[in-house]
Amino acid sequence: MAVTAEDLAPDIRRFSLWTAVRRNPTIAIGAVLLAALLVIAIFAPWIATSDPLKIAPVNRLRPPSERWWFGTDQFGRDVFSRTVYGARISLIVGLSVAVISSVLGLALGLACGYFRRVDGVVMRVMDGLMAIPSILLAIALITLSRPGLGIVIVAIVIPEVPRIVRVVRSVVLSIRSQPYIESAIAGGTKNWKLLTRHILPNTLAPLIVQSTYVCASAMLIEASLSFLGAGVPPEVPSWGNIIAQGRNFFQIAPWIVLIPGGFLAVTVLAVNLLGDGLRDRLDPRLARRL
Amino acid sequence: MTAYIVRRLFATLPVMAVVAIFVFFLIRFAPGDPAAIIAGEDATAEAIAQVRMKLGLDRPVLEQFAIWSLQLLQGDLGISIFSNLPVTRLIAQRLEPTLALTLSTLFVAVALAVPIGVVAAWKARKLVDRLVMGFAVLGFAMPVFVLAYILIYFFAVQWRLLPVQGYAPIGEGFWPFVESLILPSVALGVTYMALIARITRASMLEVLAQDYIRTANSKGLATDRVLLLHALKNAAVPIVTVIGIGIALLISGVVITETVFNIPGLGRLTVDAVLKRDYPVVQGLILVFAGAKVLVNLVIDISYAFLDPRIRY
Amino acid sequence: MSGAPGPILEVRDLHTQFSTLDGVVRAVDGVSFDVARGETLGIVGESGCGKSVTAMSILRLIPRETGRIASGSIKFEGEELTSLSEEEMKRLRGHRISMIFQEPMTSLNPVLTVGTQIAENVVRHLGVSWKQGRERAFEMLDLVRIADSRRRLDEYPHQLSGGMRQRVMIAMALSCDPQVLIADEPTTALDVTIQAQILDLMIELKEKTGTAIVLITHDLGVVAETTERVVVMYAGRKVEQAPVEALFEEPLHPYTRGLMRAIPRLDVEADAAGTRPRLQEIPGLVPILTQPIVGCAFAPRCSFATDRCRNERPPLVDAGAGHLVACWEVDRVRRAA
Repeated sequence: MAVTAEDLAPDIRRFSLWTAVRRNPTIAIGAVLLAALLVIAIFAPWIATSDPLKIAPVNRLRPPSERWWFGTDQFGRDVFSRTVYGARISLIVGLSVAVISSVLGLALGLACGYFRRVDGVVMRVMDGLMAIPSILLAIALITLSRPGLGIVIVAIVIPEVPRIVRVVRSVVLSIRSQPYIESAIAGGTKNWKLLTRHILPNTLAPLIVQSTYVCASAMLIEASLSFLGAGVPPEVPSWGNIIAQGRNFFQIAPWIVLIPGGFLAVTVLAVNLLGDGLRDRLDPRLARRL
Repeated sequence: MTAYIVRRLFATLPVMAVVAIFVFFLIRFAPGDPAAIIAGEDATAEAIAQVRMKLGLDRPVLEQFAIWSLQLLQGDLGISIFSNLPVTRLIAQRLEPTLALTLSTLFVAVALAVPIGVVAAWKARKLVDRLVMGFAVLGFAMPVFVLAYILIYFFAVQWRLLPVQGYAPIGEGFWPFVESLILPSVALGVTYMALIARITRASMLEVLAQDYIRTANSKGLATDRVLLLHALKNAAVPIVTVIGIGIALLISGVVITETVFNIPGLGRLTVDAVLKRDYPVVQGLILVFAGAKVLVNLVIDISYAFLDPRIRY
Repeated sequence: MSGAPGPILEVRDLHTQFSTLDGVVRAVDGVSFDVARGETLGIVGESGCGKSVTAMSILRLIPRETGRIASGSIKFEGEELTSLSEEEMKRLRGHRISMIFQEPMTSLNPVLTVGTQIAENVVRHLGVSWKQGRERAFEMLDLVRIADSRRRLDEYPHQLSGGMRQRVMIAMALSCDPQVLIADEPTTALDVTIQAQILDLMIELKEKTGTAIVLITHDLGVVAETTERVVVMYAGRKVEQAPVEALFEEPLHPYTRGLMRAIPRLDVEADAAGTRPRLQEIPGLVPILTQPIVGCAFAPRCSFATDRCRNERPPLVDAGAGHLVACWEVDRVRRAA
């Protein structure tokens, strides 16, 4: 069983997309699923078979069939078209919460890691916010304004920010204690340069990983809020709203609840898989801990 | 040890203080007139004025805060705007179902998830492990209410094994009580179990690679002793930590589970209060839930000292 | 001690392999040796030469996911260990063959008391009560000369010094009166005065109990002080074996000679860190074990090497008086001395 150079060579030559996918299938599965959802969301008007808001009492509570792929609800609205449009809300909320809380969390986390005095105050507030379960905090915040997509996003961002702050802060603190940074500070390197050269690049990987999880969590919270009647306005076809409005007919028309529910679960799964894959790839230290 | 517990107890005070301040100022910092927000969109000027008076919103903010926190320290959470009952009494009335649901879920989930995680780590990369990891990834992505409806569909609607909805107080017989809790507990517990099983596996895998496990094996100890004493006791700190973190999942999940299963507990009370903008009740519930979470984490902090002799207290 | 004839442990043509991403690593590649009752056998070589894997193979503690004993025989008191069931193996480990490791800092369980860790071994193998097990643990701590042993029973490893932890490991390993004690670099992690104390303790206890010791080390100084016979390993193979005096009088393998040159003389002080210099002075690198080695494994680093050395594997030959060596150029090496 001699191993020769010829045996090893093909492996090197075959390095390609396929090898990358095989080495890290979670990223690939997550990315493909998400890409599909993105396509559905963007091209919703072309994909939907009818107007998601059109009421047709004659066709109420029809089971899935060739005409209504996912059946109809109690107002005769087409569940397929509503589900397709629902993808938009989920993705908009998930992505905007991830981006906004990353930006805020990064700024606060850097400030905390840098300035002792800021750290004391901000971390107390963050601890307090983290003590309140996120859905509870979000629905309490929602009551403060008229229902709408904007307030939903804000209400989800606030409980998610502390999670990012913690990650960024811990990275900054651990980098700051490294000998090379200490000597750079002692050598009079400018704060700004230190930040952009050494600290920011190191926070990036954990930040991306964490914001993926925040995105998944935001999608779940948004759907939960809608489901509880405290989310986006009821006329908007979000997955949570479709389920909330269908739940009273669940025993006779389970498709109204189960199909959008399935979409939601798969979407969250896709984002989580992407997060797990990115974590394994970008942040092996964190990967070992989980 | 007592000194350590007292110290940890004091460390929770600032957190609870921040929660209290946040809860108090939440509505005051909202854009617009808080009284108008509470009274609702179609309220008359008269109704708004009434709300303002009832909540003392016409007084200076600091005075309001002083009064409110003094009452809070005496255990007074205020009066509900809608029912005119003390918030503490409303909470007390709804406490039993929520306690029953969360505690049963907590114990069952921990009792199942930890052994599952241990077995997965022991049989790492084998079929059992892959199944467990698959369950963990799926379970963590499954929205509580979607899972709840799937469970209802099969166990209650199709097979008629368990009640569709509702809660049977323990005072009305033990079996109906248990029956009414099974589906809600499973729906609520799966995410939590997924989280615990995953951390248990990861923590055990790390411990199993340690030198002292090799020593234990070189002594020819039985597998269960190596796994459950030598390894699990070392892996316990992260597991216990995540059990504490997961309490937040349970509390968030309770709000949804109680809605799906129509259980008259604190979660249902929260949703009703939010939809009616019964602000004193919402404030009280946030304080109670946050307090519960902080308390559980305190217990967990203290348990570290028992699990790891290297932790000094 | 025992009157029964024959060696207590016989290892024959042992091959232990690991599968890695880079291919199969032949960590132990056809090693044979005997251990006589009550004897102290040294196994020396650089790190990565397969000496620790040999030890782990005897106890069958090679991690099953990656490694396996590919072939060969390990007989303990005439009984074939490679064909025992895992359960039978467990009855043997810690009872009749026990082991101590290099890192006393990490080899004891941090969350269990010293007393528990010794007692559990006794309870497991001798079927006594926990109370008796604890009593035995107390005796053992006395035996390894840990002061205030009664109190130490209830202490955790982090409360003990490195030397004391290694004493605890020895107490644990000897608690069931094993016939063989395998000590894998037992003193490497300790500072030099503690090293001497631990080695003296091991020899003294061996005299007392008649336990045979397999002492695995990279330190020929340790070998000279404590062992009776020595096996020298290189790249998973045994290259030389001799009674300790004969080996130091006339090392026959060029590799052994290289090792000798790297021993700190006993009259020379240890360096500032308290450790003896490791054996790094032989030029060249240990061969990569994923590729089959043609010829003598040491040839690339050997100043005596010829074409024959590079192409044909040298057999072990008896150079007289139980002195075995695997080298084609023994005569030249002898003359060069």
